[in-house]
Amino acid sequence: MLLKRKRSGAPVTAPAASAGDSRPALLVAEHVRKVYRTGEIEVAALVDLDLTVQQGEMVAVMGPSGSGKTTLLNCLSGLDDIDAGRVLLAGRDLFAMSDADRTTHRATSMGFVFQAFNLIPVFTAAENVELPLLLGGVGAKEARHRAVEMLERVGLGDRTGHRPNELSGGEQQRVTVARALASRPAIVWADEPTGNLDTQMASQVVDLLHELNKVDGQTIVLVTHDPTIGRSASRLIRMRDGRLVDDEQLPPAGEPWAGGRDATMQVEG
Amino acid sequence: MYPNLTPFLVALLGAALAVAAFIAVRRPFLRKLALRQVARRRGEAALVIAGSVLGTAIIIGSLIVGDTLNFSVKQVAYENLGPIDEIVSSASIANGDEAARQVERLRGDPDVDGILTLRGDQAAVTRGSGSRRTAEPRASVWEVDFAQAAAFGGAADGGSGLSGPAPGAGEAVINADLAKAVGARDGDVLTFYLYGRPTGVRVARVVATKGVAGAGNGSVSRDAFFTTGTLVRAAEAARAAAPAAAPKGAGPGAPAAEPHTFSFVSNTGGVESGNKRSDAVAAKLKAALGPLASQGTSVEKPKQDVLKAAVQAGNGLGSLFLFIGSFSIIAGVLLLVNIFVMLAEERKSELGMLRAVGMKRGRLVRSFMIEGTVYALVASLAGILLGIGVGRAVVVVAARIFNGFSDDNGGFNLAFKFTSVSIFNGFAMGFLIAFVTVTLTSMRISRVNIIAAIRDLPNEGGRRLKRRWVALSTVAAALFGGLSAVAIAGSKGVGVYLYPSLAVLALCPLLVRLVPKRWAYTGASLAVLAWGLSANTLRPKVFDDGSTATFIVLGSLLTFSAVFLVSQNQELLTRPLRPLIARPTLRGLATRLAVAYPIARRFRTGAILIMYGLVVFTLVLITVLGNLIGATTDSEVANASGGYAIRADFNPSAPVADPARTLTSGRFAGQVAAVAPLTVTDGKVTNLNPKFTDPLDVAVVGAGPDLSENGLFPLTKRLDRLGDDRGVWRAVQSNPGYVILDQFLGQNGGGPGSVAYKPGDTFTLTDPRTGAAERKTIAGILKSGQGFQGIGGQVFASPLIMSQTAARAQFGSAAKLAAAFVKPAAGVSDEALAAELQGQYLPESLVATQIRHQVEQQFAANRGFFQLMQGFLALGLLVGIAGLGVVMVRAVRERRRTIGVLRALGFQAHTVQRAFLTESSFVALEGILLGTVLSIVTSYLLFNNDKDLQGADIGFPIPWANIALLVLAAAVASVLATAWPARQAAKIRPAVALRIAD
Repeated sequence: MLLKRKRSGAPVTAPAASAGDSRPALLVAEHVRKVYRTGEIEVAALVDLDLTVQQGEMVAVMGPSGSGKTTLLNCLSGLDDIDAGRVLLAGRDLFAMSDADRTTHRATSMGFVFQAFNLIPVFTAAENVELPLLLGGVGAKEARHRAVEMLERVGLGDRTGHRPNELSGGEQQRVTVARALASRPAIVWADEPTGNLDTQMASQVVDLLHELNKVDGQTIVLVTHDPTIGRSASRLIRMRDGRLVDDEQLPPAGEPWAGGRDATMQVEG
Repeated sequence: MYPNLTPFLVALLGAALAVAAFIAVRRPFLRKLALRQVARRRGEAALVIAGSVLGTAIIIGSLIVGDTLNFSVKQVAYENLGPIDEIVSSASIANGDEAARQVERLRGDPDVDGILTLRGDQAAVTRGSGSRRTAEPRASVWEVDFAQAAAFGGAADGGSGLSGPAPGAGEAVINADLAKAVGARDGDVLTFYLYGRPTGVRVARVVATKGVAGAGNGSVSRDAFFTTGTLVRAAEAARAAAPAAAPKGAGPGAPAAEPHTFSFVSNTGGVESGNKRSDAVAAKLKAALGPLASQGTSVEKPKQDVLKAAVQAGNGLGSLFLFIGSFSIIAGVLLLVNIFVMLAEERKSELGMLRAVGMKRGRLVRSFMIEGTVYALVASLAGILLGIGVGRAVVVVAARIFNGFSDDNGGFNLAFKFTSVSIFNGFAMGFLIAFVTVTLTSMRISRVNIIAAIRDLPNEGGRRLKRRWVALSTVAAALFGGLSAVAIAGSKGVGVYLYPSLAVLALCPLLVRLVPKRWAYTGASLAVLAWGLSANTLRPKVFDDGSTATFIVLGSLLTFSAVFLVSQNQELLTRPLRPLIARPTLRGLATRLAVAYPIARRFRTGAILIMYGLVVFTLVLITVLGNLIGATTDSEVANASGGYAIRADFNPSAPVADPARTLTSGRFAGQVAAVAPLTVTDGKVTNLNPKFTDPLDVAVVGAGPDLSENGLFPLTKRLDRLGDDRGVWRAVQSNPGYVILDQFLGQNGGGPGSVAYKPGDTFTLTDPRTGAAERKTIAGILKSGQGFQGIGGQVFASPLIMSQTAARAQFGSAAKLAAAFVKPAAGVSDEALAAELQGQYLPESLVATQIRHQVEQQFAANRGFFQLMQGFLALGLLVGIAGLGVVMVRAVRERRRTIGVLRALGFQAHTVQRAFLTESSFVALEGILLGTVLSIVTSYLLFNNDKDLQGADIGFPIPWANIALLVLAAAVASVLATAWPARQAAKIRPAVALRIAD
């Protein structure tokens, strides 16, 4: 079942699909440049970068430390400013928007999964998950209903009232995934989602992401250091020194995830 | 102030500094670490210093207020008495001359460097006529040998104060105060009413009001000096003109008017140093006077009395401000704890690393101690300057209030002054408080989990207390329980509140093993709160020792327990806010976050709530009590006047003849409904209560039966067997052994206390002139003695009322007709009648006081004082606001990542800002409301327990407008204080907050 997605604004252009892919382009980045300045020292984190992500793709981004993976994710999601180029998401130029509009766009069109989970410590699991829904203007009851539903989907139906410090690392990351997906975003950005997890928990989380991508057609851009996870995606991009050095379309089924098991919608806790 | 504390403080300060120096020298690594932390984190260092500077400033400010009052009262001694150390006074010329001869025998004594005999009396003085006439009804007139006066007290600083050529016949030398009162200059002609007869006198010259030229009663001395013989001749002339000089209505045996004879004695040494010989010289004088001492000649030590009063007044006022400031100091300590915990949180990973590489916990504490010593030293030094500023501000406001005590601005002049002792004591106290706080906090924060600290993980939850600690605390609870029983049985102020609370606290470890933690803590805090609010109902005498410590303990216990109760049940209390919080809007989400954080961070929220609660509790209590007292004006006027609207005081040497008849006939017929003449003299009370070690000064008022027949001064307590108030007043008339006292005999300010005597108690009343002593029984206690305050010019003595017959029997001719209560006829204005009486009886130096005006003036001064205390307390509010600011700065730093997530999820920047502002407002408002509610409940209970307030029929008026203003001001200030951190939070860029190294 394909999740219904909310879109904001009308598309400005119809981005071209990548070669051999008939799916519409969801994200188009053109000549993106990002420079970090520390005093008089300038470091180019992204150099004239072009990237197109089709709807329903699961793109893995890999590269050595300092290659610009996280910067890419931050810039393409509009979390960070860029120095040159443009980024279109669902046809809308992120950096042509005001900060407030970009923030609203993020709330309605994007989901995030971070390495450090980054749940709001004073909120329960359900409150964390319903947060983007409420931000997107969903009513309180409906938001809670959908949050609980989402938590049940990630196998945490019995942990809705627990605060982050009462959950294991894997559980926390599953809450993060639930939060990222709760508002049915156009794209989910996952930055090292398994970096803080042991193998078993990492496997549960990656299984979940695969499942969401395959079953729901959820577009996911995933930054990882783990080659097995990287090769399990539908497309693998490699970065070095702020540049895309390799863009590999993987077989549709993807390479089997080493720690993976049969994907189920209910993940054991 | 408090020079006796200095050695103790020197020892403690020395020990603290020595320990810090020892560690710094012995462990260079720790020193280096500590000092570099100070240098590296200058912003934080400034924050800690700012946090602890207020404590020192408040202490020094309080001590300076004490210094100023002490100095100002002493100034009165220097200005008005100069070289005069002892005064030998005789009411008759014959006795005076004999006394002077005996006193002269001490000339040449090594303790005495001057003796001056002069005669004096009271007279009215006017200048001009008609509408341009200016008058001073109560001037002191003296006849003196000017040559001897100039030589008197030669060694004293500034000389005798009266020098220069003697005035000629029909001339007088007047002092500056009298000149100012009537607007006179050299050469002006004044009219002196000597013994009721007008005499034209030319002003030979005006001299400064000091030394002999400033000798007088109280702080106001308006003196005129004539050549020897002037007063004696005037008295003789007055007697010759009116052979029956003994005033009618003064009763049998009233003496013929004649000047009093005084021998001023100056001790060897300066103005202040000579005072040390006063006891020895007074003893020699009494020995020299022999039988005269029991025949109406008395020896007084005015300078010693004034200097003693100066110390008492200074200590009283200083300790009052220290008492009020103590709540702010406690808030300051909490602020310091909070800041230091924040510092430790920021250095968590660093601390973890230090522990990981082998630094023992003790060394970590010592490193913090060195750092803390640096902060405490700098803060205490800076606190000196700020404290001087605070003291100066308080003195400026207090000076206005003191000047308002009397219509002619003659109340009291405050001269700003501080002593090195106060500065040192304040510095040492401020330093030690900061040092101890920092050291104890260091011990707590050095207990880090190494891994959690290095990985910046949240702290582990509290570990279960070991069984032996539970057992030990239970034993301590039993011990405190025992102490509580003893304290409660004896109504010991501090003990009654403190021990039961400590017992409950010590019982908590056991309770949490038996019931859920929240129940245990909720029950314990409820128990302490309930006890704090109700203890004085069960033990009404709990405040009787007058100790301010009781109030500090009570205020702190109420606030701490209430905050603890609230902290444990925040979810429950915020449940009504749910509809607001659950709103699916950005505002609703911001509110949800704003409430969620303070609820989750119990310790820091609790610390802020205590800071706010404590200060607001005191502020509102002062506001409510001030308002309550203000609301009693009408009942106080009724109690103080006893149905008489005016009190007329006149010159006992030239009294209004037969006032009961004179003031109700002639031009006053129809204007005056009734008059009650009174005799006045001074007496000493002993054996009343063991707590009074020195004899107590009283103004002995002799009243006739008409006082209680034409009016009635209500009593707060009465001897049951005598019936109602009227029955008691009648018993006083019929039984010379009965007297009526007011409520303030023996109280010299400095703190609240209660009446240390009751009807039925007996004591000894002595005539200081003759030594005649009689046993008296208290028949009743006045609801208000204010109508009698200052009667017969006895400003500082408490009134003692007995029958006029009994007064004459014991005090003889010293009990002089000097005052009368006047009841205006219906429809006659008090003000107009008072002015008319004063104009008509100027020769008799009549001063008509409207009792309502006097009460209102007193209330206005009290109001001013309450406002001053509120202003002083506002400093504490600053501490609370600063604390909130610190917490919010800390929150922004800690929540950078969370802010990044929120922004990533779609929180707008202004929503983040709103969330922070809402959070600070929530905490501030919660603290303010908690303090306000607690304060109103406490003041209601105090009101309910006070029979006088209950009887005033004023209800329980709550000054909502004032409280609302206070709450609003505090809330707005709090929001403003957190505006900066909130803006910083909004500025955080999500990618920066979330950035993880690639």
